[in-house]
Amino acid sequence: MFGKSEKAAELAADITDFKAVRGRSLFRDAMGRFLRNKAAMASVFVLALIVAFVVIGPLFAVWDNEEIDWARMGDILAQGAPSIETGHFFGLDELGRDLFSRTIQATQTSLLVGLIGAAMALLVGTAWGVIAGFYGGRLDSVMMRIVDILLAIPLTLILILILVVAGRNFVTLFIALGAVSWLTMARIVRGQTLALKTREFIEAARAGGVSEGAIIFRHILPNLIGVVIVYASLLVPEMILAESFISFLGLGISEPMTSLGRLIAEGAGTMGYGTLWQLLFPLFFYVTIIITMFFIGDGLRDALDPKDR
Amino acid sequence: MTRISRLTMTALLSSTMLAAGITAATAATHPETGEELAADQTFTYRLLDDISSLDPQIVEDVDGSAVSRDLFEGLMNQDEQGNLEPGVATSYDVSDDKLTYTFHLRDTAVWSNGDPVTAGDFVFAWRRAVDPATASPYQWFMELMSINNAKAIVAGEKSPEELGVKAIDDHTFEVTLSQPLPYFVQMTTHSTTFPAPQKVVEEFGDAWTKPENIVSNGAYVLTEYRPGERIVRERNEKYWDNEHTILDKTVALVITDENVALTRYLAGELDRTDVPAGQFPRLKKEHPEEAISFPRLCNYYYTFNLSDSGPEAFKDPKVRQALSLAVDRDIIANNVKAGGEPPAYSFTPEAVAGFTPPQSEMASMTQAERDEKAKELLAEAGYGPENPLSFDVIYNTSEAHEKIAVVMTQMWKQKLGVQANLANMEWKVFLDTRGQQDFDLARGAWCGDYNEASTFLDLLQSDSGYNDGKYANAEYDKLLAEAKTAEDTTPLYTAAEEIIATDMPVIPIYHYAGVYMMDSDVGNWPTENVEQNWYSRNLYKLAE
Amino acid sequence: MLTYVIRRLLVAIPTILLLVVASFLMMHVAPGGPFTSERPLPPEVLANINAQYGLDQPLWKQLWDYFYNIVAHFDFGPSFVQKDRSVNDIIAQGFPISLTYGSLAFLAASIVGVGLGIAAAIRHNTWIDYFAVSLGIAAQALPNFIMGPILILTFTLWLGLLPGGGWNGGQWQYLIMPVIALSTSYMGSIARITRSSMLEVLNSNFIRTARAKGLSHKAIVWRHALKPTLLPVISYLGPVFVYVLTGSVFVDLYFSTGGLGQSYVSSALTRDYAVLLGVTILYGALTVIVNLLTDLAYAWFDPKIRY
Repeated sequence: MFGKSEKAAELAADITDFKAVRGRSLFRDAMGRFLRNKAAMASVFVLALIVAFVVIGPLFAVWDNEEIDWARMGDILAQGAPSIETGHFFGLDELGRDLFSRTIQATQTSLLVGLIGAAMALLVGTAWGVIAGFYGGRLDSVMMRIVDILLAIPLTLILILILVVAGRNFVTLFIALGAVSWLTMARIVRGQTLALKTREFIEAARAGGVSEGAIIFRHILPNLIGVVIVYASLLVPEMILAESFISFLGLGISEPMTSLGRLIAEGAGTMGYGTLWQLLFPLFFYVTIIITMFFIGDGLRDALDPKDR
Repeated sequence: MTRISRLTMTALLSSTMLAAGITAATAATHPETGEELAADQTFTYRLLDDISSLDPQIVEDVDGSAVSRDLFEGLMNQDEQGNLEPGVATSYDVSDDKLTYTFHLRDTAVWSNGDPVTAGDFVFAWRRAVDPATASPYQWFMELMSINNAKAIVAGEKSPEELGVKAIDDHTFEVTLSQPLPYFVQMTTHSTTFPAPQKVVEEFGDAWTKPENIVSNGAYVLTEYRPGERIVRERNEKYWDNEHTILDKTVALVITDENVALTRYLAGELDRTDVPAGQFPRLKKEHPEEAISFPRLCNYYYTFNLSDSGPEAFKDPKVRQALSLAVDRDIIANNVKAGGEPPAYSFTPEAVAGFTPPQSEMASMTQAERDEKAKELLAEAGYGPENPLSFDVIYNTSEAHEKIAVVMTQMWKQKLGVQANLANMEWKVFLDTRGQQDFDLARGAWCGDYNEASTFLDLLQSDSGYNDGKYANAEYDKLLAEAKTAEDTTPLYTAAEEIIATDMPVIPIYHYAGVYMMDSDVGNWPTENVEQNWYSRNLYKLAE
Repeated sequence: MLTYVIRRLLVAIPTILLLVVASFLMMHVAPGGPFTSERPLPPEVLANINAQYGLDQPLWKQLWDYFYNIVAHFDFGPSFVQKDRSVNDIIAQGFPISLTYGSLAFLAASIVGVGLGIAAAIRHNTWIDYFAVSLGIAAQALPNFIMGPILILTFTLWLGLLPGGGWNGGQWQYLIMPVIALSTSYMGSIARITRSSMLEVLNSNFIRTARAKGLSHKAIVWRHALKPTLLPVISYLGPVFVYVLTGSVFVDLYFSTGGLGQSYVSSALTRDYAVLLGVTILYGALTVIVNLLTDLAYAWFDPKIRY
């Protein structure tokens, strides 16, 4: 969880061997390698289908995600099963709301949580790592000591604490997830920056009187893109998993919004009562997203890492 | 003795013991009803959460009080209907000015360590309850009992020794009140007033409630306490009425998740559990003997914020009326809760003794008529499609509360075009927000402290600490003040409810029901005790 | 080596201090206090209770007293919610439970995960490999909390084999479901890392050399490939151990084990400051120690690293 996964750890280890500054052609090679990775490409395809479903699905929805089917809400077990006739393609939830629309909305939330959570980690982590690595010296040791200290903290605890203290909305959720996931990113980026800093083209730019800001933006950041993207793609499923844990604790986002983690937690509660569809539909989307993201992350890493795995 | 023969011996011994046990059990029948009793007299039930304390003066939760009632016995007990019956006190006298109560204690009552239960133990316990050093959250209860000097002691102005209680001799306990209080004796069934073993408390201090130290005077003694897991209490052989106790053992299992609790009930691990919202009809069909529902003394409502910080719209009673009318209580009671809860059209539950709800117009209308009226009223108040009403609804995080909030806001949205935004808050945040009037519409619920309408109606009194909506109506306050001393309170309470029905400071939704899965071999569960003050010693297990 | 360990432990002290101060402040910023209740306490009663628990003192004083009592008496204070119990009691009762099922889950995840991963790698591209890989991915992709109700429904209600919850002093029947529920997802990830690490090692030059020398397949795998295979696994195991302990709240919730996971979450929700801080210190210290042990184990396995 939270950016300390095995893949991130491996990546962090690998990245120290990352010597060549990849030129355009290398980047294109990586693209080629990724395109040839069957599992990753299949995953991209499946994920695209899910995204398409989330975008197009609402056009087919007969009911919206808040609307209660008053006529059927009294007997969900008998009348709430998935059916084309009633317009409830995925059945009803415990309150008589259309699970098709709710699953779509939940999938949107979970994808957003994954992407924005990872983006938060990416922004903070990159900024922190570049500054520490580029300016070095005392600033570097202070900044990295802070990261070390934070890494030694059980982050699950911090996440729960943040969500208890702050309210329930998208913004807090993103901030909380971002707050606990940027640390490894900062470490990786710093290591990269340190390696880049001593390279000839940076020295040359310095000698040529290019300002420090310009060096960071024109020379350092573009060379970090590969690593950062790989790491961010590994973070996405972790964010989604973390969100589901939060939802399970009842600390997730507020009604009428929902997330896959929430729907699964609700469905898991009622699975003994014969309304299994309440668990299975959200679970299917959830598991599919996680697995495809695993494969895409692996694919990106393999593509950008010349070592053959 | 060789190993083999020793084993044979043990086997022989245990089988004879077993046989003896079985013969004894088959012979056992209930002394009054003649029903056949089970050999294993153990009652196992689900606890939602761990109890707050085993100390009778400190415990503050409902489940903890139930444990306390088994372990300790106060002056008076409640029977299965909630009527008073003698506990440690066999009788009491009241002085003519109704300010002095003299309780006569039975001389057969002893603590589980063999010491007699004396009036001194009550004096010690009651002083302890008001002593600021004990930090009991129920200090206010002793103030409410109007015991002389209680208020001053809690405020730190007098010492606990000055409390109006006295041990005339070992078996005579005298209480002096600061003002007459008709239901004073009823209040002595509450755990705060239970005796405490002075010697033990003084010897062990805070650690006196640890299983290895605790000494109690109730029908049961604590034999095992594993926080977060289980609490076991077993028959107290020294209890004065031990021969009439049938149940040997009561086990409370902490199971937080209600669905898991139900699964474990169905697997036969529990004799009693709560039914998750919405599951009652199905369970009733599958287990008609076991799914039970009976009225309880609690209400469930939403309160408008009528203070200055509340929305302007809610200052208009028409808006409040309209929102209340549009809530289809039958759907909430029958489809969402579905546990036999009565829909609420009055604030006070109908089950309350000596209370007659007023003939409310709303109760007699059909839902279609109510919806029609609601639209009219809202239009009169100036809200409609061009000027839509919008406000926030707060409730605390819980699946059951969320369902009701969602259903209610959908009703308003679909019928009236009102946009109500949901905000769920974690419990403490919710209480804080509601207490500071930082809301538009907030969930509320209340369970009566005693079986009398004032326990509910007092909540809406203008200076009540619980009046979070800051409703104020002088006429209402006057009626309640009158009721404190009136002979016949019923018409006054009905009149007060009429005011609520007109002003509509709250939207009553439903009144609680006790909705349980109760194994059919559990005998004598007090379904008629609306406060649900149950005692293990009144229960028994039937042979299946 | 020793100086390294000492330095790491010294750095841990400010880390935990910082963690406690941050948790303390956040708890006080959060709306509501431990004695905010449905029935608002009359002000004089609230004042008495606050005075009794020292909550009427200024924040810095409360914090100072807290640390003072820990250092001077090893007393972590009373619980504000479970009034009969001190934080020392709560930890003494709950931690052994969490530690027991957590360690067992950790062992189960490691042994099964590593075994599955090695089997998959040795039988690369056979059904064993496919089975192990799909199992690993499925276990990892399922949110681990749904294992609770699934296990209880299966083993308690349908099969009637195991008690549906409780601890009972850690009897084996009560341990099975918590251990399975907690270990599944970590088992999945461990299997995947082991597999990919083993494959990499088996393709590396020194194994090729060994093979060329004519060593048996068995000897190659067990004598040469195992140690380097386990390197990345070990660096992952440290954090896993911390997660099985700190993330075990769902086990306590579903199986009524009475462990510390639930104490932490409920203390945050009920504003039971003392319990929250006590558990935070414990978990913080545990994290530091586990991280240190992981690094030492890594050094022991990998001769290239020396401290």
